[in-house]
Amino acid sequence: MSKTSNLQHLFLCVGISFLLSFSQKTNASSDNPTIRIVFINTVKGNKIVLNDSVYVNPFNETYTISKLRYYVTNVSLQAEHNVFKEKNSYHLIDESKEETQVITFSLPPGIYSCVNFLLGVDSLHNVSGAQTNDLDPAKDMFWTWNSGYVMAKMEGNSPASKLVNNKFEFHIGGFSGPYNVLKEIHLYFPGKKISFEEGENYTIIINADINTWWQHPHDIKISEHANITSPGINAKNMSDNYAGMFHIEKIIR
Amino acid sequence: MKKKIISILIAVSIIFFAWILEAGNIKERSSFHKTPLQLKIPQEWPKPPTNIFENNPLTEEGFQLGRKLFYDGRLSKDGNFSCASCHQQFAAFATYDHDFSHGFNNQFSTRNAPPLFNLAWSKFYNLDGGVNHIELQALSPLTAPNEMAENIDSVLIKLRKDVSYQKMFKAAFGTSLINSQRMLKALAQFTGSLISSDSKYDKVKRGEATFNDAEAHGYELFKARCNTCHKEPLFTDYSFRNNGLPVNKFLKDYGRMKITGDPTDSLKFKVPSLRNVSVTFPYTHDGRLYSLYKVIDHYSKGIIQSPTLDSSLRKGIPFTEEEKTDIVYFLHALNDTAFEKNKRFSQP
Repeated sequence: MSKTSNLQHLFLCVGISFLLSFSQKTNASSDNPTIRIVFINTVKGNKIVLNDSVYVNPFNETYTISKLRYYVTNVSLQAEHNVFKEKNSYHLIDESKEETQVITFSLPPGIYSCVNFLLGVDSLHNVSGAQTNDLDPAKDMFWTWNSGYVMAKMEGNSPASKLVNNKFEFHIGGFSGPYNVLKEIHLYFPGKKISFEEGENYTIIINADINTWWQHPHDIKISEHANITSPGINAKNMSDNYAGMFHIEKIIR
Repeated sequence: MKKKIISILIAVSIIFFAWILEAGNIKERSSFHKTPLQLKIPQEWPKPPTNIFENNPLTEEGFQLGRKLFYDGRLSKDGNFSCASCHQQFAAFATYDHDFSHGFNNQFSTRNAPPLFNLAWSKFYNLDGGVNHIELQALSPLTAPNEMAENIDSVLIKLRKDVSYQKMFKAAFGTSLINSQRMLKALAQFTGSLISSDSKYDKVKRGEATFNDAEAHGYELFKARCNTCHKEPLFTDYSFRNNGLPVNKFLKDYGRMKITGDPTDSLKFKVPSLRNVSVTFPYTHDGRLYSLYKVIDHYSKGIIQSPTLDSSLRKGIPFTEEEKTDIVYFLHALNDTAFEKNKRFSQP
């Protein structure tokens, strides 16, 4: 850095802070309400503990979970007359990394009724070459032999599985054609619309019930399908099931 | 009120002053200077269907980084297998004289390595078209356990330790950050720049050479019998077709069907370009045919009928012995030795 550039920064800072001091009232962005969306993955109301806790699915098959990840993208909040859309909205929720389970942004104050997102990565970002951040192929959620994202992944063990070491693996993907697994999720606020007010923080707690993966509308037994790892009818069926896993538990101010 | 206006005026003039300083400073700020490149589309060729460099501006610095990565064995698990170990320049970036290529831990690949050139015209990569963008193609051999057998994070750790890569990533992308996106984009800049357009055929088309009698006769036969799938001037239409080979009984490779799940895609593979075909032997997706004569014999009298067989091959494509010789002469006129020896594409 040269002397000129240091000087220039100094002048810029002084000038801008001067201007800011007179525009505080009109500059509302710093006062916008802050929203935190927290995803809590559960089975029968209990927060998941990877590897150690044993769960029972609707077919009385016991199982443990070693990996659980899914993409939440294109997050938006529905207000009365407009929609707030989060920018660059690509989030990989990973059960093994707590920091990934919270999405934070601020939005214009107003009365909101609903949170929407896409469960999976939109088709455009499946065909646009190498991506980065949560869409980095190094996140182990990208198929290298058949380009496309794994939209949701669960791995674990179950005595019902006939595979090696009683493993089961679900890598659910496919972004086009009849076996498209992308799911638009709309979650209405429980009870009523909420006014998000200036300067306030709100936490939307979303519960994801992992036991929905096995049933409604399609019965998927571990004993019959312990390995669904490519796009197709089985992946589509599982996505139809897990599309129903979310509900808003509460909104805390 | 007056006070306010004066203060705002002061602020504005301070910012204006800063802006003047900034103007005098531009020269120094732009020490990060890239050299833009233009992909040269040969005259009379169709435009590529998509711009593969749309979100990856082609630069000399990006190309040179991609070139270094392409020849670097550290992209594989044991350091032995660079991209170039299966994509050899003297074989037009196929594996010379191998049906299958060698990979990690004495393993074979499961398909014949395709040559690499004129990739900008392809919408899909790999013989089954499973890869939908040139930037993503390298991930497939890099992570395949029988090829380079690596994982992305491990490659990046190796690259980050190398000062020359830190410099080259900075030169190509503005900062020394080394991540998968930049690595893949740089590789795409190199492989996407491999254009082969200087064969004898091209010289004849440009009026710089003439075919001999056998080549000229072969070209006439080619236009009448082969040009539908191996369409000029790229010598492929980039479609997926079943060319009447029985399924490989060891590999059970049904090609495109693996990607689409559609039974009507059974045994379909990407139509290969015939450019540089004299150095890309053996032929077909599993390298089962060792000479051009064997390939022509296959089309002449070896077609296996099946529901997904390409309609143009139902009756085979008969050739007399003389016709075979002439068409092979023509196919040799598609060889681009300047491309195979171009120093710009060779190991840095």
